[in-house]
Amino acid sequence: MPTYTLNINGNDHTVTVQDGNMPLLWVLRDIVGLTGTKYGCGIEVCGACSVMVNGQRELSCDFDVSSAVGKRIVTIEGLSADRSHPAQQAWIENQVPQCGYCQSGMLVTVAAAMNAGHHGNQIASELRNLCVCGTYQRIKQAIQKL
Amino acid sequence: MDTIENASRRKFLVSSASGLALGFTLTDPLGITRAEAAATDTTVTSWLRIGTDNSITLTVGASEMGQGSFFGLAQILAEDLLVDYARIRTEQGQPSLSNPAPVGASLNTVGSSIIRRNFWAFRDAAAAAREMLLEAGMNRFGDHDRSHYGITDGVIIHQPSGSQLTYGQVAADAALLTPPASPPLVPDRFLKIIGRSVTRPDIPQKVDGSAVYGLDVRLPNMVYAVVRHCPNFGGTLLGTPSVPSGMLAVVPLKVAAGTGRGTEKTDAFNAVAVVGPNTWDTWQAARRLGVSWTLPANAAQLNDAQFLADAQNLVTNAVPYQAGGANPPGTLYTVEASAVDANAQIAGAAKVVDATYTLPYVAHACMEVLNCTVDYVAGEKCDIYAPTQSARNVLSLAVALTGLAPSQITVHTTFLGGGLGRKAETDFVSQAIQIGMAIQRPVKLTWPREEDFTRDQYRPMALVHARAGLDSAGRIVGWKYRNISPSILGQRGIPLGARGDSQGYEASDELPYDFGSRLTEYVTHPSPIPVGFWRSVGASINTFCVESMMDELAAAAGFDPYQYRRALLTDPRWITILDAAATLGNWNSPVPAGTARGIAIGAAFDSIVAQVVEISGTSTSFSVRRVSVTIDSYLHVNPQSVEAQITGGVVHGLNAALYGRQTFSNGAAQARNFNRSRMIRLNEMPQVDVALKPGPSQTDRTQIIGGVGELGVPTLAPALANAYFRLTGIRVRSLPFFPGATMGEIE
Repeated sequence: MPTYTLNINGNDHTVTVQDGNMPLLWVLRDIVGLTGTKYGCGIEVCGACSVMVNGQRELSCDFDVSSAVGKRIVTIEGLSADRSHPAQQAWIENQVPQCGYCQSGMLVTVAAAMNAGHHGNQIASELRNLCVCGTYQRIKQAIQKL
Repeated sequence: MDTIENASRRKFLVSSASGLALGFTLTDPLGITRAEAAATDTTVTSWLRIGTDNSITLTVGASEMGQGSFFGLAQILAEDLLVDYARIRTEQGQPSLSNPAPVGASLNTVGSSIIRRNFWAFRDAAAAAREMLLEAGMNRFGDHDRSHYGITDGVIIHQPSGSQLTYGQVAADAALLTPPASPPLVPDRFLKIIGRSVTRPDIPQKVDGSAVYGLDVRLPNMVYAVVRHCPNFGGTLLGTPSVPSGMLAVVPLKVAAGTGRGTEKTDAFNAVAVVGPNTWDTWQAARRLGVSWTLPANAAQLNDAQFLADAQNLVTNAVPYQAGGANPPGTLYTVEASAVDANAQIAGAAKVVDATYTLPYVAHACMEVLNCTVDYVAGEKCDIYAPTQSARNVLSLAVALTGLAPSQITVHTTFLGGGLGRKAETDFVSQAIQIGMAIQRPVKLTWPREEDFTRDQYRPMALVHARAGLDSAGRIVGWKYRNISPSILGQRGIPLGARGDSQGYEASDELPYDFGSRLTEYVTHPSPIPVGFWRSVGASINTFCVESMMDELAAAAGFDPYQYRRALLTDPRWITILDAAATLGNWNSPVPAGTARGIAIGAAFDSIVAQVVEISGTSTSFSVRRVSVTIDSYLHVNPQSVEAQITGGVVHGLNAALYGRQTFSNGAAQARNFNRSRMIRLNEMPQVDVALKPGPSQTDRTQIIGGVGELGVPTLAPALANAYFRLTGIRVRSLPFFPGATMGEIE
């Protein structure tokens, strides 16, 4: 069984899997134990599984664990230590989440867009993650100031 | 802890060394349980604990699925307890089968009910606790003149001496006192917390990944199970496959009593679970597993063309309900009939409008798939971790399946990643218990998204035939309305009365329009595809049909659709809400070419809602630009939370109206994931404005408080269809607008 060393939220984790094609999503959730990254569709449609890999948003439901070796992985748990990331602050200020299940993926996606130098309406125009509760209006408000 | 029941007031005290604990009843919010099964729930399901350390803990038996009512209860409590809302710690409670509550009379988080059904119970309980704490304080001070005391944020101030005692300091004393019979409430003019927007305590953990949903539960030594159902409803397992390499077990799963609907019969094996070391490997093994199924004899009949043909046949050929009869599917129930014969009035009318509306089955598609984690030890315990809307049903199910005593079973209700009515069912819980019992090891069951879509208990399909007669002035002289749809209650074995399924006809009866004469009917459709509760369920179906028909009648009569409704409405509260929506939605202001507005009004869960929807574009491509919603729920506890729920309901309504549809072939659901069941994304989000009817100057116990959680949904589809008609001249009588719409990958 292959063993990989993954750098997740600044820390190295050694994981052993049967299948090098196991998506990063399930490695994070079941093996590393970081459950903030969510399973929604498994087919890259909903965005709930969004993580950052080398600063870019990737959909972890279709990102092989073997491809993540040597790269910097950031999950919702690593966005900040204290909910201080501006996107997290904006989400709290605007009381965005309802059920909250999609919001990890939303926040990581927004944070990645901010990393790329995008702001406000530009981020909103790019954000395609699915929210079944329908929190889009407050997400738009929250993004305005980013 | 000792419990002393005071049955006369349906409250009891719990006395303990650590402070004051007060139990009180949460009413059973599942209206149908009371109405249809004549059951009452007197189980104490909430507790207030005031610790000697000044902590205030509220334990709530309701579930939090994003609607915010879990914390709204704390907000209500804070008012009459005279403490800062932020100080109250809220805990998820345990269900209980104790007290003389019949099994099935559960505390279900359904029907937009938690706030409205418990508002007064919480106020009374808080006031009782406050009075007991105050009395304990007066005893300490040796001064029983109430006018000498004030309370500020849980501190009792003896004004003559300036001395203070905190709630925590007197909590143990208070626990020995008898609760007062009718403690005074904070007068309306002094309300400071109820009706004010407050922040939700669950938000911080929902922005840093720490909120624990059912799917996030992890137990020591836990293994993972993935379910695979027969793809065809009604199909059963033909032999248990052997355990694949690398896996731990294959467990055949049967339909537990009380969990099967329609095609799914009790004790039939309709699925298998593969158990393995992690979700992914186990899921892959489940996909590859060679499984043989036996299809039901009627499989070839289980398709949409047949369902439609059956419905069309029942427009004319339904058999009237017989009191005491078998009343099989296809029975015609009279929901309401005026003394004046509507059929005769329509036959003699100057103009007749006849319309048939059809709506499809629609899945729930909660963001969090169905899942449940079980830790079972034979003869000892069964711990259940579930994102459930009905913890009490979970407990009674677990008792039945395991044979354990209720005290040996613990139900941990997690956060729900959406509930929408689907997580009020317990089929997935029963499967996890079966797996736990088979392998005797902590196990988490996950339904892959494809199982979640294809093994739902859908919003029922419906065909509605409406027919109305107009006189020469355009007034309605007769209204006839027949809803034909599979019965949700019937599939649960609940006998239907003479009026049929309340879930099926809701929002089609008692409409406050002057119809002259009316005949409202409900017919049970024979399709056995499992159906269930879905955010606003019957109201979402009937409000589309009623309010589309009203628009058709306005057009036939040559009137403005808003003014036409207004002239026919007989309830001043409806008129107020309709007027408010028209104002908010700029109904009377001109629109640019290529833009149109539609209007609709309706009531559900004791609230009245009106919407104006504004769309732009063409018949084949349009965008929903703005939705203006007004709601009268009598009173609103947290306006910001109400606004969130209404806006979310609008999105839910849009998803269903534009795209929502599940189809069937040989009893197999065809849309298996979000790519084949489109929903709106952020770029399709309209501007939503919500106006709450200002709260009354007096809260009045005799008034009925309305629900909120589901109320954004029902009026959206008709307002949209009515806007589309004004834009294009085309009347949409069949939902969704875009059947078969797909949704692509994000990148």
